[in-house]
Amino acid sequence: MNKISAILVAAMIMGLGSATAGDRKPAPQGASVYIVWPRDGGVIKDGKFWIRMGLSGAGIAPAGIDKANTGHHHLLIDTDLPPLDQEIPNDKNHLHFGAGQTEARIELPPGKHTLQLLFADANHLSFDPPIMSKKITITVPQ
Amino acid sequence: MRGIHPLAFGLALAIIALPAASLAQTEQHDHKAVAAAGTTAEGRTPAPPDAYVYIGWPNDGETLHTRHVKVWFGTRNFGVAPAGVDKPNTGHHHLLIDAPLPPLDQEIPNDKNHLHFGAGQTETTIDLPPGTHTLQLLMGDANHIPHNPPLMSKKITIHVE
Repeated sequence: MNKISAILVAAMIMGLGSATAGDRKPAPQGASVYIVWPRDGGVIKDGKFWIRMGLSGAGIAPAGIDKANTGHHHLLIDTDLPPLDQEIPNDKNHLHFGAGQTEARIELPPGKHTLQLLFADANHLSFDPPIMSKKITITVPQ
Repeated sequence: MRGIHPLAFGLALAIIALPAASLAQTEQHDHKAVAAAGTTAEGRTPAPPDAYVYIGWPNDGETLHTRHVKVWFGTRNFGVAPAGVDKPNTGHHHLLIDAPLPPLDQEIPNDKNHLHFGAGQTETTIDLPPGTHTLQLLMGDANHIPHNPPLMSKKITIHVE
């Protein structure tokens, strides 16, 4: 009985593991994202700017549209990468651009801030391997 | 093609070709009627007044020392969606190269002067011969028809050396 339970548990764990891995779509070949603007190390005078999101080798589709070689942008502000096997959180540090936007108006308080793009599929899941930009740092003066 | 009789295939082709031929005839003989059917204002997808597109690179008037020209498609207050995806406030980019604006109430032509980016692309690299060229972006809806009002960039001029 114990043996059977152990096998069942093992099977469940394996099942869960493969389900999670299976949910992530393979990244389109050669796809990359980058922050066009602002520049890494840039100083943004009043903390208000339009971020421009660059995408090479893939296309944009709004969230919920499941089409090969497409996804939508997410902007991570002052945060590290979220767990890549889960939906990207939706809060003030993880902005979703599920309407297919490639630019967004951002306002940040004085101080140093980090910005990073993470491209994800119709269900807000990262690709495998993840398609993400360099994490850049900007400064908003007092 | 295995299992399909050549005659059946030929017949199928004829059936496909027939309506196209008769349509072409209709257009020839009754051009006005066909144009009127395609130009109804209701047929165009609305766009919000603050939406616009622009060419992020290259800059207007720029001289480029390469024939491989990277063009970045700027889109503000609007979203990008692949062709065929009918979602409010989205569309896909078309790049007009050395071409005037096409008729705004019809599908944007698909040729070497009117490049379609129906996969939702937001940039491209094109090869241009040396000389002066114009570039302009024109957003199209799910069916490649410009929005109402049309979302188009300034027509820029570049010099390729």
